[in-house]
Amino acid sequence: MRQLLLTTILAAGSLAAFAATGNAAVPDSCVKGVDLATLGPKSIVGQGPHGEKAASPEVLALTDAEAAKVKAGNFKVGISMQTVNLDWSQLQVQGITDTLNKYGVTVTGVASAEYQVDKQIADIENTIQQHPDGIISIPVDFTATAPTYKKVSQAGIKLVFMDSIPTGLEHPKEYAAMISADSQGNGQIAAQILASCMPEGSTIGLVNFGVDYFSTNERTKGVSEWMKKNRPDIQMKQVDFTDPAKVSQIAGDFLTGNPDVKGLFAVWDQPALDSLSSMRAQGIDIPVTTVDLGLQSAIEIAKGGPLKATGSQRPYDQGVAEAMAMMNALIGKETPAWIGVQSLPVVQSNVLESYKTVFKKDPPKELLDACNGAKPACN
Amino acid sequence: MTDPALAKTAAQAARAQPDRMRQLAWTLLRGERPYMLYIAFAILLVIFSFASPWFLSVENFLNIGRQTTLVSIIAVGMTFVIIARQIDLSVASNLALSGMAAALAMAHIGNHWIVGAVAGIGCGALVGLVNGLLTMRLAIPSFLVTLGTLSAARGLALMVTNTKPVIITDETYFAVFGEGSLLGIPAPIAWTAAAMIVGILLLHYNIFGRRIYAAGGNPTAALYSGIQIKRVTTMAFVLTGMLAGLAALVLSARSHAARPDVVQGMELDVIASVILGGCSLFGGRGFILGTLLGSLIIGTLNNGLVLLGVSSPMQLVIKGAIIVAAVAFTKR
Repeated sequence: MRQLLLTTILAAGSLAAFAATGNAAVPDSCVKGVDLATLGPKSIVGQGPHGEKAASPEVLALTDAEAAKVKAGNFKVGISMQTVNLDWSQLQVQGITDTLNKYGVTVTGVASAEYQVDKQIADIENTIQQHPDGIISIPVDFTATAPTYKKVSQAGIKLVFMDSIPTGLEHPKEYAAMISADSQGNGQIAAQILASCMPEGSTIGLVNFGVDYFSTNERTKGVSEWMKKNRPDIQMKQVDFTDPAKVSQIAGDFLTGNPDVKGLFAVWDQPALDSLSSMRAQGIDIPVTTVDLGLQSAIEIAKGGPLKATGSQRPYDQGVAEAMAMMNALIGKETPAWIGVQSLPVVQSNVLESYKTVFKKDPPKELLDACNGAKPACN
Repeated sequence: MTDPALAKTAAQAARAQPDRMRQLAWTLLRGERPYMLYIAFAILLVIFSFASPWFLSVENFLNIGRQTTLVSIIAVGMTFVIIARQIDLSVASNLALSGMAAALAMAHIGNHWIVGAVAGIGCGALVGLVNGLLTMRLAIPSFLVTLGTLSAARGLALMVTNTKPVIITDETYFAVFGEGSLLGIPAPIAWTAAAMIVGILLLHYNIFGRRIYAAGGNPTAALYSGIQIKRVTTMAFVLTGMLAGLAALVLSARSHAARPDVVQGMELDVIASVILGGCSLFGGRGFILGTLLGSLIIGTLNNGLVLLGVSSPMQLVIKGAIIVAAVAFTKR
């Protein structure tokens, strides 16, 4: 019995009292060695889902005569989103609405599919009933929604997509344009800054989304291709997650099982924050970079902790481009199949300004406080 | 961790005669077939130790301990609820809501860790009380009641800030619940130990525990013995809610923010731990240490499979198969 008790105590072995820390030697060039002006790709580097070359949003500009034509058309446009609960989608909708209203186009409504295919199909069918001239939408899924989008184009309604194209739809017959962030470019920014923090011959870990999804695939691809080309001395190891709720555990275990990993790339900001929380618990302090900007990740960057940088999307500007593409289509101008919105590198020295650029509003108090606590490095 | 009751128990154990020792061990370890559970856990440890050079280290066991914290803490309460022949599906949503309550209280009432703690645990207790009252007073099956609160509590959590996370800035809060340590033990593990000890004292050394067993084992007999089943069972729900609140504090302290969308689906891990730990889904049987082992077995599986570099869909398949096998094995 005594032995059993002992076994039990051992079984609860996690209660053992011990703490260990392991920190990497980060070179002085970390972040500082990268010139922000030359950071990131000068143009869109990725290719569209069908291998298209990207066009820049400037090609969508309207002449005065064209703008007058849009105004005279009294057009109506509906919006169908996957969700309206993200900052990302709210900023998109705001960018679209502001721009369309400026040219006298009415937004008939914004539907939120809550990530459900059947709900989105119903949303779109209901929108068709309102007889709009155009629909701007992000498909929840590539395949199941495709027949419904075909119905939209058969009804003579112009289609502009954000971020992905349902399977089988053809440009320009069935849709006018797809506008997305330059995910590979975002990955490159994250790679470039992470590389500046890595000593010669070191190893980095990629915390990747294990589900086949265009934009996250492109980000990880952006990182690994940049590393192979520019820093072939750096080894890469990858860990995949399918359930975003489990990242903290998976990243923590990955770092334990791979103690040679001295830097991390996480595929979007929440997994990066979850990796940070397990690193804190394990006493690990290695540089982390990611893609996308949120309030919490902005605060972490401002503080000057392990999160060094993010390659941010510009959802508001993407919304503006979507609205412009739609108006081009409404007056019968052909638009390129894929338009990429350029990436924005965010580091400690430009985090406040970047927050304004992305969110189109002043930074909140929490971010200002975090930044003031890290002066003068934070700006 | 200077609980007087615990100190007393420990002192008694030290003084005890061999038969008294045996009784203590039996009380702590009792379950349906406890030995099989320990064997199952030992087999798992041996396999992973051979398979991965990183598995067998204090650091990695601390990882497992930290990762299983949330499930272990809540599973202590769930053990009471399941022994009382009920179920609580709302724990994960309750955790999310309680975390929001704690963070919002600190942002708007006072930026002090005690304010957060009271708000978080209080909110958890309140959800537990609603579960208990609806189940026992209105005689609605707890499966349905807590299915409802699962949805409603999550909705409320998402609604209060329009789905945005609430940032926490109090350093003491991070230290007390997330990043500090007590005698070298990381805070989350210390809180798990505290919840377990309270659970053991309540379930195995207190009249409340005996009433819970009676209420679940044979409600009719319990009723005729003068046990207030409704009150006792409601208390079990409140206890579970409070522990969900405590888990919320640990999680939010670790991530420096409360998020309304966290730990969706965790109730199933909690229930799996309790059942794997030898608790009967039909009530009347179960023990706290078994629950902890159940949670550690699942946590060890999660950890070991990542260390081995198993692909993430394959992990799910292996984990499911091993859990079913472990339950079958321990049932023999």
